[in-house]
Parts: sequence; C-alpha cells; structure tokens
Amino acid sequence: MSAEQENHPLEDWQASVAAARLEKCPQSVIEMIPYASFIGAQAKIENDRLLYWLEKRPTNIGNPSLPALHGGVIGGFLELTAAVEIIYNLDIAAVPKVVDFSLDYLRAGRYKTVYAKCNVLRQGKKLINVTASAWQDDENTPIATARCHFLI
Amino acid sequence: MAFDMTMALFRPALKYAMEKNGHGKTLGLKMTEINRGEINLVFSYKEEVVGNPLTGVVHGGVIVSLLDTACGSAAMTVLNTPAVAPTMDLRLDYMHPAEPHKPIYVEAKVYRQTSNVIFCRGLAWQEDKENPIAHCVANFMKVDSKSINFSAIAVTQLRRLMPWGQRSSSEQEGGK
Repeated sequence: MSAEQENHPLEDWQASVAAARLEKCPQSVIEMIPYASFIGAQAKIENDRLLYWLEKRPTNIGNPSLPALHGGVIGGFLELTAAVEIIYNLDIAAVPKVVDFSLDYLRAGRYKTVYAKCNVLRQGKKLINVTASAWQDDENTPIATARCHFLI
Repeated sequence: MAFDMTMALFRPALKYAMEKNGHGKTLGLKMTEINRGEINLVFSYKEEVVGNPLTGVVHGGVIVSLLDTACGSAAMTVLNTPAVAPTMDLRLDYMHPAEPHKPIYVEAKVYRQTSNVIFCRGLAWQEDKENPIAHCVANFMKVDSKSINFSAIAVTQLRRLMPWGQRSSSEQEGGK
C-alpha cells in the first residue's frame, strides 16, 4: 500500500498508521507488514483491546501427521502481534526493532484458529517490554506465551 | 561404527518432512546437513516474509521458524526411534537485522541431553558466521527413549513417506 511507495516511505508509513488509528482499524496496520499476510495474521479491536488471530492454513502446519501448527509460526505470530501492539498503541516514529524473544510452548497448537493478546509491561525511552499470549479454545488455557524486548 | 544405520534411514525422511510439508515448504528452506545432533539449513530471501516494509528486512518470525525447525530436527536426530520432540521453550537474541536479498544460514546443535530433556543451541548468520544475526537456545521434551529397532524405523519411515506426498489440504482440514 502507500507505505511501500517511494519518495517518503517513513512519512507514508506514519501517515498510514495515523489513519489506521483514526479509523480504529488495526487490520490496516497488520496489512502493512508482508509477513502478516504470509502467515495469515489478522487484527481487530474487542473490548478496547487488540485481538489478533491466525486463521488455519495448510501452509502453517509443522507436523502433518497430527496435524499440528508449526511452532515457528506460533512464535512468529506472537512476535508480530507484539510489534503491531506497539505500532498501533504507542506513539513511536518507526518500526520497532526486536532485540530478544522468549517463547514458552504450553500445549500443542492444533490445526485451528489461534487467538492472541498482548500487554505492554514497560515503555522506556529506548526499550519496550511486551508479553503475548496465544490460545485456541479458551483464553485461560494458552498454547504459548511470549515475552519480547523492542528497541525504539 | 562408520555407518550409522538409523541416520541413513532417518536423514531422507527428515529432509522430506521438513522441506516438502506445511510451513517448511512454504518458507522454502533447504536442509543442507543432517547428522546426529546437528542440523544445517539455508533459507533464500523472499519478499513475502518482509517484516519491515521500509527496509525490506525479513520478519523476526522467519528466524524463529528457521531456528525452531533446525533445533527441533536436531533434537529428533538424537532420539533412538523416530518421534517428535515437542518444544518446551525457545529463547532468541537478535544481534543485528538480516540484510535483504541474502540467504540466511542456520545451524543447530544438541549440546546436552538428559533422560527427559534435550538442550539445543542454534545460530543464524548470513555472510559471516562470527557475526551472526541471531542466536537461540531451545529445550525439547524427550518423548521416546526406547532401544533401537531398525525394522520399526524402516516401517515407520515408509509409512511416513507414503501418505505425506499424496495428502491433500482438504483431507487435512477434516482432521481439525
């Protein structure tokens, strides 16, 4: 979209983010990141919080005999949601840079939709700490939790 | 012990499983080396997996997938019978962003195993292995520690190889 056009990519990016916030449409922020459509990640606002989900796709399978979702896709999805949470909610100039990422796999990701929510635990001048949690049937039985540091 | 029978059977099956199925196929990764406790793979740059459209840098999630695949596969190679070793956790440090349009090389090694847990390390780099883009540690549960049974391995491998190539996506969707 406009963010990828030449001349003033950063200004275009910021304008697109501002427009998305104004329209309360996190989906258009997530669509600006090509990796999101590669795995099929989507976002919406529910009860004033961002809710992300990853629709089931054969291309996200890791173990075809179960079938189970690829652990890397769940990790990538959570890292993506953490970044989108920052881009959409916090007033920062550019795309945040991930410094480290820690992931706990709690249950196998079955071949169905995965949901995720994030929490920004701390926003410093340079560093942001975000946690993300992914679940399938019930928010209280997460399949994976992640913790992420971003530099801004 | 020059010829490792288990690995000779396991190597093509693992390569097939990782390269020709699901997310591994979608990413287009290639396993270049498969040895007991050690995996090397390579990923070629793709526009679709960009995480920062301003710079063209691939998304960190790709690095997570590559390292998870490599570490998980390395963990599988140390099991005596072919089984999946579920990931307990994975911790990744990004040393610097990957440069666009260049392949990413990944190496994973099992550095320790106990009766229940397999400990792995992984490294991702582009041109200089001494200057990696990311480093990870990942731990896996050992779900199978039975003694080696060659015929069982052969049968399992054949069973695994056969349906995977033919299985359609619609069939998988039915499995929920």
